[in-house]
Amino acid sequence: MWARARQWWNKVASYLVLGAVAAPFLTMYVSFFLRAFGKRMYLGVVPKEFGFANFQFLWRPIAWGLEQTTVWTALGNTVFFAVTSALAVTIICMLAGYALSRIEFRGKNFFLVLQLFLHAVPGQILLIAIFFLLFYIKLLHKIPGVALARASLEIPLGIWMAKGFFDGIPWDVERSAMIDGCTRFQVWYRVFLPLVKPGIAAVFIWGFLFAWHDFIYVYTLLPGTIKLMSTLIQSLLATEVIDYGYLAALSLIYMIPPLLLFVFLQRALLRVPVFGGKGV
Amino acid sequence: MMRISLHNLSKYFGDVKAVDELTLQIQEGEFVALLGPSGCGKTTTLLTIAGFYRPTKGEVRFSDRVVNDLPPRERNIGMVFQSYALYPHMRVFDNITFPLKIKKVPKKHWGTKATEVAKLLEIADLMDRVPGQLSGGQQQRVALARSLVKEPDLLLLDEPLSNLDAKLRITMRAELKRLQKDLGITTIFVTHDQVEAMTMADRIALLEGGRLQQVGSPEELYDLPATLFVAGFIGTPPMNFVEVSLEEVEGRLFVTTEHFRFPLSNGIAQKVHRMATSREVVLGVRPEDITIGQGKIEGEVYVVEPLGRDTLVTLRIGALGFKVLAPPRFRVAIGERVQLAFSMERIQLFDKATERSLLL
Ligand SMILES: Nc1ncnc2c1ncn2[C@@H]1O[C@H](COP(=O)(O)OP(=O)(O)OP(=O)(O)O)[C@@H](O)[C@H]1O
Ligand SMILES: [Mg+2]
Repeated sequence: MWARARQWWNKVASYLVLGAVAAPFLTMYVSFFLRAFGKRMYLGVVPKEFGFANFQFLWRPIAWGLEQTTVWTALGNTVFFAVTSALAVTIICMLAGYALSRIEFRGKNFFLVLQLFLHAVPGQILLIAIFFLLFYIKLLHKIPGVALARASLEIPLGIWMAKGFFDGIPWDVERSAMIDGCTRFQVWYRVFLPLVKPGIAAVFIWGFLFAWHDFIYVYTLLPGTIKLMSTLIQSLLATEVIDYGYLAALSLIYMIPPLLLFVFLQRALLRVPVFGGKGV
Repeated sequence: MMRISLHNLSKYFGDVKAVDELTLQIQEGEFVALLGPSGCGKTTTLLTIAGFYRPTKGEVRFSDRVVNDLPPRERNIGMVFQSYALYPHMRVFDNITFPLKIKKVPKKHWGTKATEVAKLLEIADLMDRVPGQLSGGQQQRVALARSLVKEPDLLLLDEPLSNLDAKLRITMRAELKRLQKDLGITTIFVTHDQVEAMTMADRIALLEGGRLQQVGSPEELYDLPATLFVAGFIGTPPMNFVEVSLEEVEGRLFVTTEHFRFPLSNGIAQKVHRMATSREVVLGVRPEDITIGQGKIEGEVYVVEPLGRDTLVTLRIGALGFKVLAPPRFRVAIGERVQLAFSMERIQLFDKATERSLLL
């Protein structure tokens, strides 16, 4: 009897503790949703009415200062930016990761350590150099150019991630493929890439998320007339009268694409191949 | 079909001499086993022949052509790895036809070729499974099918039977030997199991520490081992070894120890005369070459182990231990004193310092 009560109390206690820790975050999310869908807030927190009034921007232009755009243009720009950046990260990391995992060359370890070091460098301090670089190769103020610059920040750690995935594939599988007639590139393309699909998905999502949420590169290297979601929200914050409901609704739209990406890539993320035999 | 010759082949990894000065000729259609204990350089040799490692020194020749710099994909080799290394994301059919796909064989031929090898290896009904759904034995046969489908000039097998259970291993031993003879493909087979090598190979190359100890037919290695190592490695239960000295009395050569002494037969004595550089030698006698119940040497029974087909008796002669294979249902009591005799024509003698045979 006592043991039962004790067990019950242990359970309750752990929920209480977890609840307390989660409370601030939960409150934030709840108030975020309440604001997005609420109207005429009571005490600034509790909405008196629910509705989609805050979502009017979905079919009306969004204006700030003297300029205007639509949420669809901004979303389109952000998707273009994030996908370009994520593709660059994925392709470069998959190639470099394979090479670093399988090919011996001079300076390989130095290169690997250098990548870690580069990852530790904050992206902001590179901004000026990147500004001039993009200027000279005529990609400044263009979404693909800035996306590539943004990708370079994620590549160092991405290379390590990709190398880790390739390291998990037994040497014998690679040798089999070569015996079967593959060139190095064919080994990579026909055998290794299908085997690290979850890794490809992970690197892509990772590159996508960082680019999706980027502000400083987009803000500095793109002209004010090209708005991405992050810079659009910033310009709305910079106006004199801030409509929080409107901002919350816009932010909600900003959150949806990454969530969709997770849902679509979930299958790939979870499919891990099984290697047979021993001595792998 | 291809002749392979290895000429002073060496492969070093830094200070480790994985393969050291290996010279070996393999004839067309021959089945050669590379035998040796773990770490002796078998896999390294195989990978060097396949072209994954470039020899540090020496040459690999395929029918007189030096192929040191030919990449693996251009060597037309079939290879089965110890781990089978099937492609886990492909169905069995796609695994088997992968070499054809890479070689750009027209798709319409894939079906017939795959069916042909699948029939040969009895895996025709597994075509739609993926490797994860196969047993070890089935995986092994798929790997073999994949290596045969491109009709290779040379087949390399790296311990292909070691992942199978004991019973399947014996079946596959015979199957593989028969298959090799039917197809006539030159084959190099790596194993650390001397029984596998003895039963399957036309010739065995025994390696130790990266060096070739002896190459020859299974009978040659069994009956006339070139070194102490070969003598001890081949045969179960292993050969008995005793340190003895040679003595010449009135023109006859005797082998003597504290506990026994016997004269060498004329044939053996002549060879020993020619070869011996010192009196200190090692005597080797196989367990089946000792007979209990006759002879002048006396020993004491230490333990008796019935094996079914025969009985393994361990004897003590003073401080020396001897293993003897006696007939089945041979009965002696532990502690009993018995007479024993060596088959004089079958004993081995090795130089104690060089460990080389004195009978070659
Ligand atoms: N890539 C490598 N780098 C460094 N040393 C190696 C490498 N490959 C093998 N060796 C060394 O070379 C020696 C021979 O190795 P190898 O794999 O050829 O042995 P093996 O006869 O196949 O053994 P096993 O029966 O255990 O498979 C070993 O001492 C091993 O540690
Ligand atoms: Mg090996």
